[in-house]
Amino acid sequence: MLKNNLKKKLIILALLIFPFLCLFFSLFLGRYPISASMILKVLANKIFSQKEKFSAIYETIIWEVRLPRALLGMLVGASLAVSGTAFQGLFRNPLISSGILGVSAGAGFGASLAIILFNNPLMIYSFAFLGGITAVLLSYLIGRIYNSTPTIMLILGGVIVASIFSALISFLKYMADPYEDLPSIVFWLMGSLATARFNDIIISAIPMLIGIIGLLLIKWRINILSMGDKEAQTLGLNINFNKGLVIFCATIATAGAVCVSGIIGWVGLVIPHIGRMLIGNDNKFLIPISLSLGGCFLVLVDNLARIVTGSEIPLGILTALLGGPFFVYLLKKTKGGGW
Amino acid sequence: MPLIKIEKASFSYGQQQIFADLNFVLGTGEIFCLFGPNGCGKTTLLENILGLLKLNQGSIFINNLNIANLKPAQLAKKMAYLPQFHNKTFPYKVKEIVLMGRAAYTPFFSAPSKEDKKKVDHVLKLIGIYHLRERPYLNLSGGESRLVMLARALVQEAQVIVMDEPTSHLDFRHELEILEIIVKLIKEKGLSIIMSTHFPNQAFYFENKGIKTTLGIMNNKKLLFQGSPEKVLTEKNMEEIFKIKTKILSYSEAENEKLKYLIPLKIIQEQKDEKK
Repeated sequence: MLKNNLKKKLIILALLIFPFLCLFFSLFLGRYPISASMILKVLANKIFSQKEKFSAIYETIIWEVRLPRALLGMLVGASLAVSGTAFQGLFRNPLISSGILGVSAGAGFGASLAIILFNNPLMIYSFAFLGGITAVLLSYLIGRIYNSTPTIMLILGGVIVASIFSALISFLKYMADPYEDLPSIVFWLMGSLATARFNDIIISAIPMLIGIIGLLLIKWRINILSMGDKEAQTLGLNINFNKGLVIFCATIATAGAVCVSGIIGWVGLVIPHIGRMLIGNDNKFLIPISLSLGGCFLVLVDNLARIVTGSEIPLGILTALLGGPFFVYLLKKTKGGGW
Repeated sequence: MPLIKIEKASFSYGQQQIFADLNFVLGTGEIFCLFGPNGCGKTTLLENILGLLKLNQGSIFINNLNIANLKPAQLAKKMAYLPQFHNKTFPYKVKEIVLMGRAAYTPFFSAPSKEDKKKVDHVLKLIGIYHLRERPYLNLSGGESRLVMLARALVQEAQVIVMDEPTSHLDFRHELEILEIIVKLIKEKGLSIIMSTHFPNQAFYFENKGIKTTLGIMNNKKLLFQGSPEKVLTEKNMEEIFKIKTKILSYSEAENEKLKYLIPLKIIQEQKDEKK
């Protein structure tokens, strides 16, 4: 009992510190050879605002390539994981991930369209974001065909919308210029953080942060929503408002993530489960834990993607290849944590 | 002044009328047992009382306030719900489940306080399941789960608890345990209970314990009979509504105590006009 509490506190502490270690660690990894001592010097120089001069290329690599990319990875992983957790609770189904209401498919369609029409990063982000939001709105409207929004109708709406957008993506791929646009679309859909610059982070961080903060604020209410609509209402919740708020936060966090990083599967499905095994199902703890786990996981995977081979491996591939076996290991070790 | 007053309540799902023109009142420290055949609309009526469904006509008052005008959080402080079925999803711990009963008292952007957790412990002790508090509720037995749900309803600190067949699927011991807790809640805490049940003897049980008990028999969209169990649970009424032969027995354990019991004997075959 006491031991349990201590263990829980240790896990929480570890997960508070771990993201910072991951960020710090990422600065040392990359294709361009910079010695560790040089990196520390550049960091110290910035922090203590000394006027010592280094080769500009080091500063650029650390401050404008590696740091933004690690920060973006952290945010994207955190957003996907936390919205996955929220959706699982809301829809009372542990098999659901952040893409359940069609946000990934919608964003993929938006991005593909923008690649064909403009091929400019800003337009790709905007179209992907709008596509994701549109898909969720459509799912929600389908779910509301009956006056209330029963859970099963929302999921059905998501499935319908996702398959329509998937078909549209296939259509765009079929129509796209096979030498220029098609590869861009395919790579975008596989997910990558390679384009990250500070400007990108700022644009996509706004929706991600709004979503994450929103979910952090209402995290305990997700427990109650997971009791089902009727019970949640008799416990004192305005169902449509609370549900809508969770869907809104989870959606804009996911859409913000997808629009810069492409479609990165797995994080939104499995990180919440790893969190459940570590800390239990109370969303008061599970939401922050997923945040930390998701962020760290994606930063570490992205580090691997950058250094393993000369050309970067798309993230979507690595998340599944690494996450799958790790998940099986955890399942075996914790015996599913009460599932 | 009655605690709950239901006036001319009518409800229909689309074209299908479930009940019409229902009236009843319930005072503090009383119990209302809703009795009737399967599918007669008991659960629908309870869901209307809980504000989960909206009446087509008529109104339901609690403390003279029309529930149609109350927000879910306001209503949850006055009325709690013990559902018949609860779909378990995630393996929450018992204490986490019960703590959810404090939702109506918890500010929007926060989680329950230490004070709330103390209330949870208090209720768990009150109904004798404190030892289960760290257990994942997925692994509990049917009887234990029902007690956990009852605990969650109790920490809502409502004056009324609406129970949908609180003893269905329970063994003898757990059934009695629930009944004894209900009696304790009414006598010691002054709560009022509205419950649906398939066991007429439960109404006798409460009456025998000296609680003001009203039994309403619902059938054909109406509350056909309403009154004390002694008046309503008669062999004649059972024959009329359930088409069964019954016998009401009396038994005394001590002096000036009379325990009543209804025994179902046999089905009355309906006269089918086959010979015509």
